[in-house]
Amino acid sequence: MQQLNFEPVLTAEKEEALREQVRDFLQQYGPFKPGNMIDSWSVCDPEFSRSLAKHGWLGMTWPSEYGGGDKSYLERYVVIEELLAAGAPVGAHWVADRQSGPLLLKFGTQEQREYFLPKIVNGECFFAIGMSEPNSGSDLASIKTHAERVEGGWLVNGSKIWTSWAHACHQMITLCRTAPASENRHAGLSQFIVDLKAEGLTIRPIVTLAGEKHFNEIFFDNVFVPDNRVVGKLNDGWNQVMAELAFERSGPERFLSSYQLLEAAIQVLREAELAQQAETVIGQYVARLMVLRQMSLSVANQLQQGKLPVNEASVVKDLGTSFEQELPEAMRLILAIEPRPSAEHGVERLLSDAILKAPSFSLRGGTREILRGIIARGLGLR
Amino acid sequence: MNELSQLIEESATRLFEGFATEKSYQTMESGQFPTASWQDFVSDGWLRTALTEEQGGAGLGLAGSFILMRLAGYHAVPLPIAESLIATYLAASSGVDIEDELLVPAIVSQPFESSADLVLSNVPWARHAAGVLVVFQRANQLHTVIIKQADLSISIHHNMAGEARDEITIKPKQLEVSNQLNGVTIEQINSWLALSRAAQISGALHKVLQRTVDYANERSQFGRQIGKFQAVQQQLAVQAEMTSASICAVDAAIAHLGGEQEWELIACAKITCSEAAGYAAKTAHAVHAAIGFTQEYPLQLSTRRLWSWRDEYGNEAHWSAKLGRHCLQLGNDDLWSWLTTQTT
Repeated sequence: MQQLNFEPVLTAEKEEALREQVRDFLQQYGPFKPGNMIDSWSVCDPEFSRSLAKHGWLGMTWPSEYGGGDKSYLERYVVIEELLAAGAPVGAHWVADRQSGPLLLKFGTQEQREYFLPKIVNGECFFAIGMSEPNSGSDLASIKTHAERVEGGWLVNGSKIWTSWAHACHQMITLCRTAPASENRHAGLSQFIVDLKAEGLTIRPIVTLAGEKHFNEIFFDNVFVPDNRVVGKLNDGWNQVMAELAFERSGPERFLSSYQLLEAAIQVLREAELAQQAETVIGQYVARLMVLRQMSLSVANQLQQGKLPVNEASVVKDLGTSFEQELPEAMRLILAIEPRPSAEHGVERLLSDAILKAPSFSLRGGTREILRGIIARGLGLR
Repeated sequence: MNELSQLIEESATRLFEGFATEKSYQTMESGQFPTASWQDFVSDGWLRTALTEEQGGAGLGLAGSFILMRLAGYHAVPLPIAESLIATYLAASSGVDIEDELLVPAIVSQPFESSADLVLSNVPWARHAAGVLVVFQRANQLHTVIIKQADLSISIHHNMAGEARDEITIKPKQLEVSNQLNGVTIEQINSWLALSRAAQISGALHKVLQRTVDYANERSQFGRQIGKFQAVQQQLAVQAEMTSASICAVDAAIAHLGGEQEWELIACAKITCSEAAGYAAKTAHAVHAAIGFTQEYPLQLSTRRLWSWRDEYGNEAHWSAKLGRHCLQLGNDDLWSWLTTQTT
């Protein structure tokens, strides 16, 4: 049995000074649109992303030779948790900053790094995730989109789905089959950087049940991808995808999606006749949040040390998304209000947004069942 | 902290393994005391873990003590490790010369009438102690008194794990001559006691997880190991999550001892551990099925402790209400800045 490691981390003056800078910035920029407060990392605002870029808060951990900030993962952690807690619209650059950039740093060619990373850092290039397909959700290895060798590059055919902000992004890291499926289902997959304006590529929007318009379906009809847009090793895409997951699954966005509701609920309860039940529920949820922060910070620190804590990241995501999903359920019972999507702002609106958006929290980035399967493997059960 | 933890585990593991024998458990659960084990613990110097070198101690502090308690919880050691470490520390802090004998803590949190007898329940291991260290407040000053066991009226009780939780009666005149205890509050001492149980729980959770995973990999039904069934894997994964969250919460509370948010992080640790205790015990017994329900099989040594410790020194509802009340008293918009001070 592999032991899960969450050694505690204390942030230092360096990180806390940065926190103050972000808070000053947020004071000037906020408060943000009430309707965007829940799950604000799914809200795309390119202008806002560029204003973060001006402060050096995109690509913070990347080397300065690619325009990065040479900062630590703890410093990045502090910046993103401040933005998320404030409900800031960070969706435009989120994927590029969190995982596409780090993927290129680890596996990309020198040319790819020099071309893309400075653009990401400046808020000029946003990335989408091209993994899921209509018939491949949790079973990612079963994807059918394939790339065929042609002169000077590859021809991609197939489709991707649930691609957030494909219509607002510039590039997409696209997982394709490049060799026929064999006994080793994970072999024969490759990652490509696909230009979302490429010829033969069609983007069709899908509206969520909450009325949000970030999802898309993407169709590839003989889309040409030049050789220099293959990421890393051909046919080794699976391992590269797995390496992305430690970054994708452990951040504070995995437990702060409904945080604004907790703040609003506490404000309302503060002025209300207090039931002891309410104190207990608030305490339970605050305790869960505090421990999740410790765990997520610990993973950030391990990434800083060059480790790849994939199992720990799965633990943070499963516990974290359970927290952000259960929070609206708990708050509705102590607030005694009715969720009201037609309200402009206030706790009724936040409760409604949280309930309607919550189902996706535990689906995106690997479902609960997949994560628990990964943890079970780490325990030595599989 | 990792180094401290490693150091303590390396030096105390063998000793604690030796304590966890069937005979020790029988002795303890029949109301006796595993004297030989206790003497080994004392003669190796562990009783003085929290004391400074000037006090004749190991200089590992409260932090080292809580780490040792976690290890004791892991091994289900049938001795008053946690209680003796805290009481010895408090005695030394009130200027008492420490002898190598068992002291246990009894905290008087509420104001009391100086004319009436004082009855304190759930005093751990009182019947086996050389003395009970009573902490009380008089005229805004904390005091301690060590009352010798022979001078106490003791009514015998125990928790679900068979650990002594006695009721003692103190005569007012027994508190008359006391030592001042400075630099701490009753609330702080109560939170340390809660952290001691959280630390023990986190150790026991770790042991229960290992035991349950091992069993799921050994036991076969329907022609394969039960750990190969997804239904079992998913439950064990959640148990592992809650276990690692508990260990992390205890580590964080230990790392912040003496810091700005000491009691808040201790509250988080006790809440997290107490919640996990119930889930882990339930799941471990479900996976072990009937064999785990027997006295012969050692799972019960850990699970009966988990069920006891989660309620001792404040259960998750008690600490949640306290933490929640605190959050509701913060000013508007102050929750986030309060939440983020704990890591600095």
